[in-house]
Amino acid sequence: MSKIENRSGKVIRGGITIFVLIITLLMTIPLYITVVNIFKPTDLISASPLTLPSPPILDNIKTVLSDPNVSLSKMYFNSICITFFGTSICILVSSMAGYYLARTTSKFSKKLYVYFLFGLMVPYVIVYVPLISMYKNFGIIGNLPGLIIVFVSGSISFSVFMYQGFIKSIPIEVEEAALIDGANQFTIYFNIVLPLVKSCTTSVAIFIGLSMWNDFLTPLLIGQVPTITVGIYTAIGSFSADWGTVFAYVLFATAPIVIVYILAQKQFVKGLTAGAIKG
Amino acid sequence: MKKRSVFFFIPALLIYTILLIIPIFGAFYLSTTNWNGISATYSFVGLKNYISMLSDARLGNAIMVTFKITGIVCITVNVLGLFLAICLNKSGKMIAAVRSIFFMPYVLSTVAISFIWLSILSYTGVLNGVLEAVGLGSLTADYIGNTKNAILSICVVEIWRTLGFYIVIYLASIQTVPVELYESCKIDGGNSWQQFRYVTIPMIIPGITIAAIMSIMTEMRQYDIVRVLTNGGPGYSTETITYNIVTQAFGNNMLGYSSAVAVFLFVIIAAVAIIQLKIANRLEA
Repeated sequence: MSKIENRSGKVIRGGITIFVLIITLLMTIPLYITVVNIFKPTDLISASPLTLPSPPILDNIKTVLSDPNVSLSKMYFNSICITFFGTSICILVSSMAGYYLARTTSKFSKKLYVYFLFGLMVPYVIVYVPLISMYKNFGIIGNLPGLIIVFVSGSISFSVFMYQGFIKSIPIEVEEAALIDGANQFTIYFNIVLPLVKSCTTSVAIFIGLSMWNDFLTPLLIGQVPTITVGIYTAIGSFSADWGTVFAYVLFATAPIVIVYILAQKQFVKGLTAGAIKG
Repeated sequence: MKKRSVFFFIPALLIYTILLIIPIFGAFYLSTTNWNGISATYSFVGLKNYISMLSDARLGNAIMVTFKITGIVCITVNVLGLFLAICLNKSGKMIAAVRSIFFMPYVLSTVAISFIWLSILSYTGVLNGVLEAVGLGSLTADYIGNTKNAILSICVVEIWRTLGFYIVIYLASIQTVPVELYESCKIDGGNSWQQFRYVTIPMIIPGITIAAIMSIMTEMRQYDIVRVLTNGGPGYSTETITYNIVTQAFGNNMLGYSSAVAVFLFVIIAAVAIIQLKIANRLEA
């Protein structure tokens, strides 16, 4: 009896291993195709997409770099500005709000917390039309700081939610000692609280920074600013079936993220799943 | 204890209210008008936009497509995600490498990965090229040009993009199950399947709920993949609700009407979110 069970167990286990290998292969192939085909001419891509490039050519990358309608440096500049300033401003204002909400137990504070969380259930597409007409009235469509502050507004709910929970778990005594010494509230916040919530800040920064870097509709509609994501979408339009060039554009859009991901993989996984695992 | 200064929350409150909450009210207001975004004047039409939604076949199709994508993606990523999480729930260099490959698509921009898949699935693309090369030319198909295939193609890209994320959620969930429970199940003579069915599953119900609801909320807003892969076509047969809203608003200047559709989407998503909160509260209690 147990012999039979052992045997069928082995068969099942072997089957599972093969299944996992197949799925892993399927997951890997699109990444592999992208990497090898960047260095091949387009006619070779459809004919033999899976072979290694021999010899590898840089024509596709050169096409992208020499296209007069495509300014990669401008796109990178926009994306970096949005991600850096958007993330920093959002973290500053949300961590302060999260601190207030975690340390104040009044009814008002509870209501304010719910008000901030409300944004988590909003499909963002609902705000585009009113927001664009608002921006048109102010004449700030296509304005980079105007776009950055829109990104901040869209990330506040998540960040406040994360900081409120994290700061609540820190014992209040640490601050009280400093208060007795007569330190100003804001000094306490910047010198004592903020350094203590570093791991929360890393998670929030990765989560909202990545969403800002990768976002497509917001810069397209509200800013009409060519970020790297919007830029490659517009640029590929004119190359539609020239796969070699398409892969080169994909490379430029993803390379910075891939590099950061490889360097800080653990933090990425933690940051991107923190909201779900905590909730 | 001294009271915390209101200046802690005022900057966040202002940005959030002016750029998110007020526009939401704006959308509710616009949904009762016939504004086209160009003329300076528009009139109040009451619930007319909502009534026209009922007989809008194009919107009806978009809702069906959204539900189809949501159904297929949700079931696949959750079942496959849980299964793979159990298989990958071991330490070791190989497993760690596999996990990081699975997670990789999730950090890349959806637009960029949709282009990768466009090059694979397009009629003149990689997949048909491979089929021709290995002598299976009769199996080549148009994975984007016909509606049925196109919806499945959108699902495949989304499953590929998000699977790693759900694996990580399930891994975290599985690791909260105390080892003693498995041991006592083993002592009672339970085999691997019984351990999974009577120990793992009941213990990770909270994880399953969160993952399922997250995937529903994500797929209900699907836009980017449709935009790159099919542009809503052929015709408007692969439009999702979000795609419909954006095209009607900025392509066809029906700003009042598209706001009504956006309000409708908001109500569905808010309902899902409230169900999530209710379940989360009950699980914590």
